[in-house]
Amino acid sequence: MLCDLLYIYFMNETFVSNWKSQVKKGTLTFIILNILKENEYYGYELIEQIRKHTEIEIAEGTLYPLMNRLKTENLVDSKWVEQETGIPRKYYCLTEMGTKTLVQMNEYWKNLENAIQKIIK
Amino acid sequence: MKIEQIKFKQEASKRVYNDYMKRVKKVTNSLSKESQDDIYMEINSHIFEAIQQSTEGNEIDALLDIIEKLGSPEEVLKPLVADKKLEQATTTFNPIHILKALALNFTNGFSYIIFFVSYLLLLGFVFLIFAKILHPNETGLFLKDGQFKVLGISSGTEQDGFTEVLGSWFIPAMFFITLFFYMLITFTLKVKKHLNKK
Repeated sequence: MLCDLLYIYFMNETFVSNWKSQVKKGTLTFIILNILKENEYYGYELIEQIRKHTEIEIAEGTLYPLMNRLKTENLVDSKWVEQETGIPRKYYCLTEMGTKTLVQMNEYWKNLENAIQKIIK
Repeated sequence: MKIEQIKFKQEASKRVYNDYMKRVKKVTNSLSKESQDDIYMEINSHIFEAIQQSTEGNEIDALLDIIEKLGSPEEVLKPLVADKKLEQATTTFNPIHILKALALNFTNGFSYIIFFVSYLLLLGFVFLIFAKILHPNETGLFLKDGQFKVLGISSGTEQDGFTEVLGSWFIPAMFFITLFFYMLITFTLKVKKHLNKK
């Protein structure tokens, strides 16, 4: 009996943590685009912003392939900016298309949120 | 833009850093010089900024921590290299880039295996052009009693009742098939890349 309960508890735990990581993975692009809405950031700063706003710990290296995809999609643009330290920073910003796309994404998210709120109640 | 190396106080940190950056270079060396430098500089900048913000007192500990969080270049940069290679391949039409891109994307889905096989088939047609020049009598499109038998090299020819039907048209025919396949593969690859984005 106890074993069954423990089993159900642990199965549930893994299910929930898998689900959480899927949600995080699925919303990461959405989060990044929203962070870039206000300001332009360089890679490391962007990771810190993601952490600050969402408490999501991402595997840091995976940010760069993702940013490259967003760039080929024409949603973000990047530029190298020379620094006094001698090590330049690559700043990312939203393109016009990125801003427009984000408006649609945010709208969709709000509708989804409303719908989910109704279900949860 | 000149690539500036990060300066470290401890010898051990220097070695760890150099080793990591060497791995980054190795993973990206199939890309264009511009892409290679771009990735190198971005990782370099990440490590530098992270060191600046680090609260860890010991330099080597801070560096090891940063590198661990970044992940191994072989793993983390793989999708980036595969993407960039595919971009390069579909914009240049260079067969070597296409082959490399396909090899890198091999694990990304069944469709790439089909692309890969089609590409090998294409190389087969190219091979036949050379075979025809070297062994004109044994190479061709052979029919027997009006039915298709062999496209390629056949040792048993006339005595088996095989007739070669293309003759001097064989090379031009193979050339056009190669060209057709090539355009078809590159085009479908572009469509596939476009669909990937959706």
